[in-house]
Amino acid sequence: MRLVSAELVESRQILPEQWLQSFHAPELAGAARAGQFVHVRTGDYSGLVLRRPFSVNTADAATGIVTVHFRTVGCGTEWMTHARPGDRIDMLGPLGRPFEVDPRSHNLLLVAGGLGMAGVRMLADEAVRDGRKVTILFGAVDAAHVYPSSLLPDEIEYVVATDDGSLGHRGFVTELVPDYEAWADQAFACGPHPMLKRLAELAAGRRERLGVARLGRKGGSGRADPLGSAAARRKAFLQVSMEQTMGCAVGACLGCVVMGVEGPQRVCREGPVFASEEIAWESIA
Amino acid sequence: MKARRKVVTSPDVRPVKPKRTPTVRPIKSAIVPVDRSRVRPSAGRSAPPAPTLAEREALDRIDLSVELAPRRGLRLPNPIMVASGTFGYGVEYGEVVDVQRLGAICCKGTTLRPRAGNPPPRVTETPGGMLNSIGLQNPGVDAVIEKYGPIWQGWRVPVIVNVAGESIEDYVEVARRLDGVPGVAGIELNISCPNVGKGGLQFAIDRDAAKAVTAAVRRATDLPLLVKLSPNVADVRPIARAIEEAGADAISAINTLSGLAVSADRSRAFLGNTYGGLSGPAVKPVALRVVYEVAQTVSIPIVGIGGVTNVGDVLDFMACGAAAVQVGTSLFADPELPVRLAEELRLECHKRGLASCEPLVGTALPKRGGAPSAKGVEYRP
Repeated sequence: MRLVSAELVESRQILPEQWLQSFHAPELAGAARAGQFVHVRTGDYSGLVLRRPFSVNTADAATGIVTVHFRTVGCGTEWMTHARPGDRIDMLGPLGRPFEVDPRSHNLLLVAGGLGMAGVRMLADEAVRDGRKVTILFGAVDAAHVYPSSLLPDEIEYVVATDDGSLGHRGFVTELVPDYEAWADQAFACGPHPMLKRLAELAAGRRERLGVARLGRKGGSGRADPLGSAAARRKAFLQVSMEQTMGCAVGACLGCVVMGVEGPQRVCREGPVFASEEIAWESIA
Repeated sequence: MKARRKVVTSPDVRPVKPKRTPTVRPIKSAIVPVDRSRVRPSAGRSAPPAPTLAEREALDRIDLSVELAPRRGLRLPNPIMVASGTFGYGVEYGEVVDVQRLGAICCKGTTLRPRAGNPPPRVTETPGGMLNSIGLQNPGVDAVIEKYGPIWQGWRVPVIVNVAGESIEDYVEVARRLDGVPGVAGIELNISCPNVGKGGLQFAIDRDAAKAVTAAVRRATDLPLLVKLSPNVADVRPIARAIEEAGADAISAINTLSGLAVSADRSRAFLGNTYGGLSGPAVKPVALRVVYEVAQTVSIPIVGIGGVTNVGDVLDFMACGAAAVQVGTSLFADPELPVRLAEELRLECHKRGLASCEPLVGTALPKRGGAPSAKGVEYRP
């Protein structure tokens, strides 16, 4: 974690109200892992007092470029869209805990809803680099809001669902998951909380439906890793990237909690990535 | 608002951009933003021009230290503290802030037993501020002492433990357990949390209750004792007077103002706890008013809290009678702010030819000897 002054290199609108910005921030690009986020300080001009958290969309250590993908939802993100290449923006990061991929997992299923693509996008890069197979299931309201495939690595399979059927499957992206759950060794998701909740239900019943043996030397009968540990997450089938309104982003203010089975969990410190078993899904609206 | 971040640098001096060529050539943007004037590259963290050696020596001679508990001894190296609940236990920001350069750390509100806090969402941004309703989530006093006591012991910076409770017995028991713990420099009595059902505001809005809890804690411990006032009262002066009489060493003012935010679809309140506490620059005038009133009521030191974002705010609070200030919400945007404020305060003293910051305190208060201020009653219904 460090404070860096990141130089905006490129800013463009990729979808309605959604922007992709590239920053030159070698310290961040070298350190960030998929699932982590940066806390961006927006301008003071309108009395904004909080930073804005954004998932690290991609990070390239070789070029020192970090990208963030965001939707303009208020004055802070609006301010960011007015930034021009060359401007310096104050970022705190990388923050949070990353996705943990089991070294034995070969087939990764990434599920993204809308802007949730920003949360899992970097994992696709990392997985492709490590020689894994990746399928991204993506859900959007209509064809106009579908993440452009040109911005994704060539090696992946990209399957789209839209609410109105204007592109790909008609319906929710979660309806595509059963077709892939047998193929996938692990799944990673980011998106609206109802989507994540549905995925958690699917993941909880997967073992029984498919009759999958537990991985591990003792067939999973050994002592379980403590909930929330990196090792436990690595073994979890589904990892989700959660979202919450955030204050400090370093774990001091306890503002960004989601309810976990073992009490409140800070999205900024214990998360944003959680194994689906860690979250008390009944409390998620 | 516009000039806020350029406190020391004169406005016409543009920050010098380091000569760094991005490895990837900038691609011409398809959409060109029109309003260039709205974008101001982040320049707030650029350091003021380095002083010369002679200046540096003169600056170092300035004594910024303040004594918050003259009878018991709570000397802060400088008057810039961090406010409870915004800095955790002092370790969270360790990677980006040199905590040893702070005046003091007020840790997260600590209760006798562990508390899970309020249901999420717990924070939201509001114009010029934020609402929070954490609900005093904390692991309990014993866990805090066990986990952080040894860390604090090794620190130069004083750590003041913020204490909350549901009953007088709770407050007393927590204070008793903190008494004598190495690394605990003092106690800040949180009798003004607006976000918990029981034991939140009830002590801060009632003069007798405030007096009773302060006196009880005073008997239980000899640690320096600060009591944090709430602005959610009609008149803060009798409460401040009662707290002083009960033996508090200092008063901190203010805690958050009770507020509310509505969800985006207008179907319910946004925060999980419905109500939240408002903090940030938006509450600064209220905080100044309370400090101004309390300063004319009591003779113990006052710690001003509420919307401090630059050295001007620090000077404002000091002028209204605060011996020290706490930085809270602004930390979230700018974690380095408190450390920078201490340096900027030093410069301000140097500019005015002062050897310490003490003469800055109370300059805006009505002059002594004159008729006592009757202001402050007429604006209330």
